[in-house]
Amino acid sequence: MASDLRGQPATSRRQKSKNPMDPVVTEAASSSSSAFSKLELVQKAFMAPFTHKKTDSTRILSDLAPVIMTPRMINSAATVASKPQASITGPTISRSRMDFSSLGRAPLRLGLGSKRITSGDLQIFEATEELLEAEVPEPEGVASNVSLLRGFNATIPSAEQSKTRRRQMRNVDTPRLGLKKLGMSARGLLTDEDDHEGQSVASEDDVVVVKHAQSGKKKSRESLSATKKLGKEELVRQTEEIMLDKENIHVKRSLINNEIKEITHKIQALDDIRAKLEQDLLKLQEEELELDDELEGVKERIKYEQASSHQPASAVKNLHLPPSSRRRKGPAFLPSEHDELPPGVAFMTLDSHTTPITTLDFSEPYGTLVSASQEDAQPRVWDLLTGDEIGRLRGHIGAVHCLQVEDHVCLTGGADGNVRLWDLRRVNDSDGWGEGEMVNLSDVPEEDEEGGELVEHPSSIRNSADENEHKDSSCARLLEGHTQAVTALYFEDECLVTGASDKTLRQWDLTTGQCVMTMDILWAISHPANGSISNPLASQSFPGSFSVQTPPYADGTREVYEDFVGGVQFWGYGLVSGSGDGAVRMWDMRTGQAHRTLLGHTGPVTCLQFDEIHIASGSLDKTMKIWDLRMGGIFETIHYDHAVTALQFDSRKIVAAAGENGVKIYNRTSTQQSTLLTNGHTKPVERLRYMDRYLVTGGRDAKLKIWSL
Amino acid sequence: MPTELPYAADAEMSLTYDELEVLRLQYQKELAQDHVTTQTKFNLCWGLVKSPIREHQVEGVKLLQEIYRAEPTRRRECLYYLALGHFKMGNFEEARRFNGLLLEKEPTNLQAQSLAQLISKGAARDGYIGMAIVGGVAAVGTILLAGLIRRARK
Repeated sequence: MASDLRGQPATSRRQKSKNPMDPVVTEAASSSSSAFSKLELVQKAFMAPFTHKKTDSTRILSDLAPVIMTPRMINSAATVASKPQASITGPTISRSRMDFSSLGRAPLRLGLGSKRITSGDLQIFEATEELLEAEVPEPEGVASNVSLLRGFNATIPSAEQSKTRRRQMRNVDTPRLGLKKLGMSARGLLTDEDDHEGQSVASEDDVVVVKHAQSGKKKSRESLSATKKLGKEELVRQTEEIMLDKENIHVKRSLINNEIKEITHKIQALDDIRAKLEQDLLKLQEEELELDDELEGVKERIKYEQASSHQPASAVKNLHLPPSSRRRKGPAFLPSEHDELPPGVAFMTLDSHTTPITTLDFSEPYGTLVSASQEDAQPRVWDLLTGDEIGRLRGHIGAVHCLQVEDHVCLTGGADGNVRLWDLRRVNDSDGWGEGEMVNLSDVPEEDEEGGELVEHPSSIRNSADENEHKDSSCARLLEGHTQAVTALYFEDECLVTGASDKTLRQWDLTTGQCVMTMDILWAISHPANGSISNPLASQSFPGSFSVQTPPYADGTREVYEDFVGGVQFWGYGLVSGSGDGAVRMWDMRTGQAHRTLLGHTGPVTCLQFDEIHIASGSLDKTMKIWDLRMGGIFETIHYDHAVTALQFDSRKIVAAAGENGVKIYNRTSTQQSTLLTNGHTKPVERLRYMDRYLVTGGRDAKLKIWSL
Repeated sequence: MPTELPYAADAEMSLTYDELEVLRLQYQKELAQDHVTTQTKFNLCWGLVKSPIREHQVEGVKLLQEIYRAEPTRRRECLYYLALGHFKMGNFEEARRFNGLLLEKEPTNLQAQSLAQLISKGAARDGYIGMAIVGGVAAVGTILLAGLIRRARK
């Protein structure tokens, strides 16, 4: 009866699920036939092919389905359905190719009972398709030498049988020696089961008991082997067995060797993955820092934009914009084209200077750049968008040693001891730079130089400022006071701090142009704030002018270094200066006292910058030191081959000019050092400044290079 | 490479319970150490496939499939063992397909050839039984129906 059902046309069969369930179907059907009411229905179904059309029969069958389905079947059907694989359809289709063998197997299984379909079976069936599709490569390595079966035979426990058998063969009957007891007592164990020992050997399967002739006790001590005869056949057999065992050993060895090799590979692969993951981690760390900076910048901008919306009138009037780019680390506004630039390549060169660049600064990426070179009293102003020279800043007598640009405001400090404030909006080339003016300018210095050396000239700026006004319209103000070259300056908002070779620092108020305070470095050297720590360079007091030979640059040239104050920066009332005595000093601008001196450099400090946590300082002693601002200790020292002349850093990197043609970039997260060389300077880099991913460098080859980072 | 494969008869020779247990212990020990060598796994597989108990065979084939997935260089060999395992379980269709794939790669493989014969023989036997049963049932069914119809006519 049941198989009649299976004899139905394939269409109706296919409607039901897979083969594995078929036996259950039949079982259920046969059991249900006992119930009379169901019998009718079943009968109807069986008659169907003969009386109805095919479509009707399937309908009847589907009606029947709940009756024939047992809970177990429904369960198993559900589990099959819950298997996410598409392979369910695969086997079903293949199954639809009905043949007698599968037909016959079903009742066979039913009859034998032991062959039950389990979920394991189903899994195997489902995997079949997938496995058959997998590629089967040629065996290689150990797979071609040692087959699995060979390995199996070599490693299964029965491989050891012959060895035990041989050992037993060689067992010699001796009077009870109590060896086990000896061994046990040697290990400090007590034995009280002597009687078991005798049996333990006999219980082994393959014992061969060889009786040997009792030769009595007249024989004196003889070697054990002499008392036993095994026979040639046995010995040959043993030889063969031993050879086989040896081969097994060989197989096992190659298996283990292969396993070791594989594990080595795996370790290698894992190590690689680990290294890669660590790198990813570093990259994430970098990204986080970048985001932090960006957030800070955006917040600052919010503050600024709110402030400017409150008082738009005053903001326009004000010469100095509130957010200072030196402190601002947020995102710069770059043209979208900048993203297309390959990183680490100098994409623009400005080369109208004729002498090594001494200082440079720019307002913003693709904004205005001001640069000065040695023996050139006129810093040049560039338009970074086009790379054209806009004009020159005329007024200084002698070289310009330092300058800073904020938006359209530029401050320059020159060898003449003066600081000039320029309005870059008023710079243009149109007023010409004929000789007449050059002469005119050179006239002025003579007065100034003679009088300027003496401190008699008080900081009465008004006069000279007015005096200069008509000479060059772009110079907005002249700050006089230093008696020697101004070598470092830093301003923020209305406050300016300058450092000069006269070994003083001066604080100025830019609204009035008055010198607010003078801080004497010589006094600070002779009265160290933090106890009796001796300064290596302090001993050589600097009478008169300060002048040091720089260590040779990468190209072998040397330079006379005369800038006593290498760098200044302040924030709030905290001021940090780096000077020719190799000290980094922290000053309080309320008192004018140096409250802490950071000693460590063995050469003049040429540049410095600090943020909330660290001070970075570069020195002629070929090192760059990162100081911990709070602890006052050295956080990190980075060694270079040549003197460090300029640096700038953020939380992710330190960009430095270190006497080489390439620009040094030190990645602070990965502590990796890299060098920018592509299309770079042909002589050592001297100065640099960057914002976001926009870097400008000036080299001893008198060229300015603009990089994309 | 000289094929070192067991003949189907070898698969019928079961290991003793103790031997299988040793293999299983070894496998579980390595499993606990997080590194199972292929040989250990195969040893257990082969032991399981040789077993007359169907649950063991299923487990053995399952492990064989794992080896097959994980060790591409061992696939050629595993094809045969998979075919053998399915053959022992009575899944002639699967056995035929695995063995067919192996014969495709190595047409001269003696063991595979003999296994192919055994499979077709087994399948045919199943087929005969199936036919017999179908025939028998059909006959009984017809008689029953005839009886019913006759009774209904009366």
